[in-house]
Amino acid sequence: MSVQQRQGLLAKLAKEFVRLPGIGQKTSQRLAFHMMKVNKEEALRLADAIRDVKEFVVFCEQCRNIAESELCDICQDPQRDRTRILVVEEPSTLHAIDQSRGYKGLYHVLMGSLSPLDGVGPSDIRARELEARVRDGGVQEVIVATNPTIEGEATAIYLTKLLKPYGVKVSRIAYGIPVGMDIEYADDVTLTKSIEGRREL
Amino acid sequence: MALVTTRAIVLKSMRWGEADRILTFYSLQLGKVRGIARGARRMKSRFGGMLEPFSSINLTFFNKRNDSLGSISHIDSLESFSPLRESLEQIWAASRMVALVDGVTADRDSNPTIYHTLLEGLRSLVRTDDPALVTLIFQIHVLSQSGFQPQVDRCASCGCNLGEQSSLFSPTAGGRLCGSCDRGSWDYCLPMSQGSMAFLRQARRIPFARATRLKAAGQVRREVENIVETYARSVVGKRLPPKDVLAAEPAATPYGLTRKDVMTEK
Repeated sequence: MSVQQRQGLLAKLAKEFVRLPGIGQKTSQRLAFHMMKVNKEEALRLADAIRDVKEFVVFCEQCRNIAESELCDICQDPQRDRTRILVVEEPSTLHAIDQSRGYKGLYHVLMGSLSPLDGVGPSDIRARELEARVRDGGVQEVIVATNPTIEGEATAIYLTKLLKPYGVKVSRIAYGIPVGMDIEYADDVTLTKSIEGRREL
Repeated sequence: MALVTTRAIVLKSMRWGEADRILTFYSLQLGKVRGIARGARRMKSRFGGMLEPFSSINLTFFNKRNDSLGSISHIDSLESFSPLRESLEQIWAASRMVALVDGVTADRDSNPTIYHTLLEGLRSLVRTDDPALVTLIFQIHVLSQSGFQPQVDRCASCGCNLGEQSSLFSPTAGGRLCGSCDRGSWDYCLPMSQGSMAFLRQARRIPFARATRLKAAGQVRREVENIVETYARSVVGKRLPPKDVLAAEPAATPYGLTRKDVMTEK
């Protein structure tokens, strides 16, 4: 293989890196040169990890979390509280909430949120699948943890209308001041919502 | 590059990169502008919830002459319109308002009248118990203020004077058609009665703040809603958020009714 062809392969790798989110031209070149520097085993381990993810990782058939079999680890876990379902927009949010260890129930990923401005309607998110899980019984509470944006709020209101007729408790995660933040820097909406959602001590 | 401070309303907010947002504003001073808010999606962002669509803000941003995307430096909240977030109907109505303003205005083409109409439109939505009617009157006003006033008194094709009799409204021509233009046209048209003409004239003659007190019901309301909706869609060139939240399915034809349907109804 000629020197020119080898440089072509490096450029090809850099071109692939630049397609990743948050990676610009300079970073992609640095990553490509880094791959040249590391030993062969380390570089191939990365290649294998990427291939395995694409070949073996799927979405859970029940909650649409990331899974390696029909059902994800959370849906298969017998220790989980099966009377509660926490609803999120994306699997990445589920991961963040589950890592906090503050919730021990099941999840449901909508794979999006209602967005009138982007033309996303109720049939474009997995709301009917959630309704089916509630209809099947055993669920006492649905906690809506969509983002506190217009889209997230619209989704929360829609889910409330959809699920209330089944007699389940539908709750929304609290709004408020982030831990460690100075109250004086909070915006009007956050302050108003945190006062509305106050609790007795 | 100049630092500009102006009052503005957030039209659209789009996720960008890892934690940024790209915002579209309609500003009093510069018209429609776009800017990037770095780190806006982070928990401790200085922008907080002020960049949500429909928010009225005081915007300070770096206006780059050769770049359509400015960089947002500072934001102060003027009106958050948070009650609009509490019902699906109001969220959808406000979305229809901002989508229309976004669709009919060009970048950096200032029109203070549109800014004030949008601000007043959002305020009226908070107060009203009929969001669809406020949105309808808003659409009539913004279409007129942006140079797309629906032609009611003259034929939109040949310009001849039209009488008061019922006729067809052509969304592509932007108004009523006379008998001869109507026969020679292959556009999708909608029926327009005398009641609808009167409502349309009155709605655009009265200032927006007072026009929201107008009442319309039954056949006239349905007809005007259909005409304004299809005309706005024709001007914007894309589907606006639907009136009915749950009606996300597209209509069978571009304007809902075919010429054949209309002729059969006549």
